[in-house]
Amino acid sequence: MRNDPFKNLLKSSAYNRSLLNWAVTVASVLLCLLALPLRFPGMELAGIGPNWLLIWVVAWSVKRTVFQGAIAGLVLGLLQDGMTAPHPTHVLSLVLVGVLTARLQKQRYIEEDFISVALIVFGMAVLAETVVAIQFSLQKLDGSSVQAVRTLAEIWTYHQRTALSSAILSSLWAPVIYFPLNRWWERMGLLEQP
Amino acid sequence: MYTLRRWWDRYGIRMLLVGVTLSTAWVVRETQGAAILEVYQGMTRPFQGAPNPEEQIANARVLELQQRLVELESQNQKLQDLLGYASASSQKGIAAPVIGRSADHWWQQVTLGRGSKDGLQVGHVVAGPGGLVGRITSVTSRTSRVLLISDPTSRVGVVVSRSRYTGYMRGQAANRAVLEFFDKVPDVRRGDVISTSTFSQLFPAGMPVGRVESVNLNKSPAPEAVIELSSPISYLEWVIVYPHQSAAAQSAPANPEVDVP
Repeated sequence: MRNDPFKNLLKSSAYNRSLLNWAVTVASVLLCLLALPLRFPGMELAGIGPNWLLIWVVAWSVKRTVFQGAIAGLVLGLLQDGMTAPHPTHVLSLVLVGVLTARLQKQRYIEEDFISVALIVFGMAVLAETVVAIQFSLQKLDGSSVQAVRTLAEIWTYHQRTALSSAILSSLWAPVIYFPLNRWWERMGLLEQP
Repeated sequence: MYTLRRWWDRYGIRMLLVGVTLSTAWVVRETQGAAILEVYQGMTRPFQGAPNPEEQIANARVLELQQRLVELESQNQKLQDLLGYASASSQKGIAAPVIGRSADHWWQQVTLGRGSKDGLQVGHVVAGPGGLVGRITSVTSRTSRVLLISDPTSRVGVVVSRSRYTGYMRGQAANRAVLEFFDKVPDVRRGDVISTSTFSQLFPAGMPVGRVESVNLNKSPAPEAVIELSSPISYLEWVIVYPHQSAAAQSAPANPEVDVP
């Protein structure tokens, strides 16, 4: 008689299952957070690493509602603020990424899951960097912030470099996050159905 | 009342979860990710090798220059003693491994694997092989975050070692920085050594920073020079942290990340 404890746990009860689901989701976010300061060989392009939290937000919101995407962006944006500096905030860019990804009707245009997620991540990474650059520019134009030391020219030259490197790296590493998480959530979704 | 109960039955748990998640994220933001950094330090501990001083000074030329420097320093010390000059005693530094880079592309930060338990505090000065690296901006019990001098928000008062012309330096990511001079016609050439000046409130004077790579004297409003930082900021592995009581820290700074020279 085969007695797989993992399968037993999955079949035990809806409550246990959703607890497990949440645990796995939180653990994956934690993993992304811990990967942020790491730079392994092949993970770096001109000193810039992939934006793991952005990949996670895209993976989360691809098959979810706009509200869920926005909440994920809000939470992960706050977390990233904690990991770096809170001004300008990452919340705006990640919320926008979550909402837009959830709104995207990707089934209509592209079939293959892998490629489409990589493409979405590419676009969203450029968008996120642009939102940060706009925030820096507004800070500069506003002139009230003590930290507004970059000139507009500096901001936008730097933006070109980071946006491209970050987009390329993030889209290449996107399947690493997307594939296992998507499999997990699909399986959980199937089990939820009566 | 009934509709409220039904709403709660349908969405209650979900809303509760959203609330809990949001408040956790807020706590992480307010504590500057202290808990996460602690976990990170614990996880990367097996990979933090011991410092390898032999490798750093393998070069015989470096050894020779160091010996000459010691000689000059002791001569300088003697002359200062003769003059009755009250100098700050040289302090012993704390070696710390670099365990993480910046968690975002717009800030130039590194995370060190030593924290307040090892005697590190906010405002301590961080130096690497080759010169000044940055200063500590936040500390947890076993990690600390360093704002590098290559970050645009960190401004350092510097001086040209040869001609004593002063200015302030802004980081430009990677290992470049821009020096803006206070004088209209500074005496500066390509290859000049730049070190921190006595005007700097956040850093001790006389720490080597880098070399002049190119000079633009026609720049308005002030002449500029591009500086190549001498410490290998992109691939730092070990740094030395020196206690430093900054003038700004004593008068409760509004914003600890900006050095106004």
